[in-house]
Amino acid sequence: MNPNNNRRVALVTGANGGIGIAVARRLLSTNINSLVWLGVHSRRENADQLADTFVGRVVVISLDVTDRPSWDRVVAEIVAEAGRLDVLVNNAGTHEDSLLATMPAGSWDRVLATNLNSVFHGCQSVMRTMIGQRFGRIVNVSSLSALLAPPGQTNYAASKAGVIGFTQSLAKEVARMNITVNAVCPGYVETDAIANLPTDHRKSLLDRIPMRRLGRPEDVASAIDFLASDDAGYITGATLKVDGGIL
Amino acid sequence: MTETELLEQIRNMLVETLMIPTPATEIGFDTPLFGPGGLGLDSVDALQLVVALDKNYGIKITDPAAAKDALQSITSMAKTVLDSRLK
Repeated sequence: MNPNNNRRVALVTGANGGIGIAVARRLLSTNINSLVWLGVHSRRENADQLADTFVGRVVVISLDVTDRPSWDRVVAEIVAEAGRLDVLVNNAGTHEDSLLATMPAGSWDRVLATNLNSVFHGCQSVMRTMIGQRFGRIVNVSSLSALLAPPGQTNYAASKAGVIGFTQSLAKEVARMNITVNAVCPGYVETDAIANLPTDHRKSLLDRIPMRRLGRPEDVASAIDFLASDDAGYITGATLKVDGGIL
Repeated sequence: MTETELLEQIRNMLVETLMIPTPATEIGFDTPLFGPGGLGLDSVDALQLVVALDKNYGIKITDPAAAKDALQSITSMAKTVLDSRLK
């Protein structure tokens, strides 16, 4: 159990996007005592809007997930303000799809840095705090691409598969300290990128989903909220697909 | 606090932090924490002890070699605490 009288202090990265906002909203809604820091980078309008809705319970903070000093600053600020950090949701991610034969090296580096190196930096920066409090919930957002490995996503699929391996290894390291580390693999989620697809492409996507609908950010958020809860205290190293039954 | 009291305090911290099933009084102050013939702790236990020393005594050990020296036994941990107070 969270030893802090059910008060949950969380940090969500990539918190201006659809899934990040849904996760934060869910964490705030299911636990009226929770405080959520929203890590944002280039854009923050959605995060600011959420902060206006949950006055006094949300802090929007600038975080470059690829930069270790940025992580250390943010974690130190949270611990100074809230006295602890219970939940880390590594959600920030990016993709730059192209066939390997033509993929610029920069695309590889950027995608690996944002999707995988960020998880290393984030988990390491919160580790001493979570070990000290003997409680922690880490949820890493991977992707169905880690398991399906579609063409045109060597960088993205490698980074997200790396997140799963990282999650399983770290879970074993810290389990005895009451820290759980899990991954979720969203399938096709209704985000801006998918909303802008041509109609025929969108239809072919739907044909591949047994549930015949795209995922909603809230579908992913509820899975993450569960893994971040006390109820999931005996689940660690798991990879939870949220894909409508594709795989 | 006498040196013996400090040793007992660290021994209790060790048992509590690592949830060691052996009664604290049965662990000698000079019993090796790692390796055969000792408590048989592992690297994850060592990490927890480094964090516990920071949390309880404000000692920040970041160098692996320094951690190895400090975590040989309860006596070496007490010495680390005493040395930090002299600085």
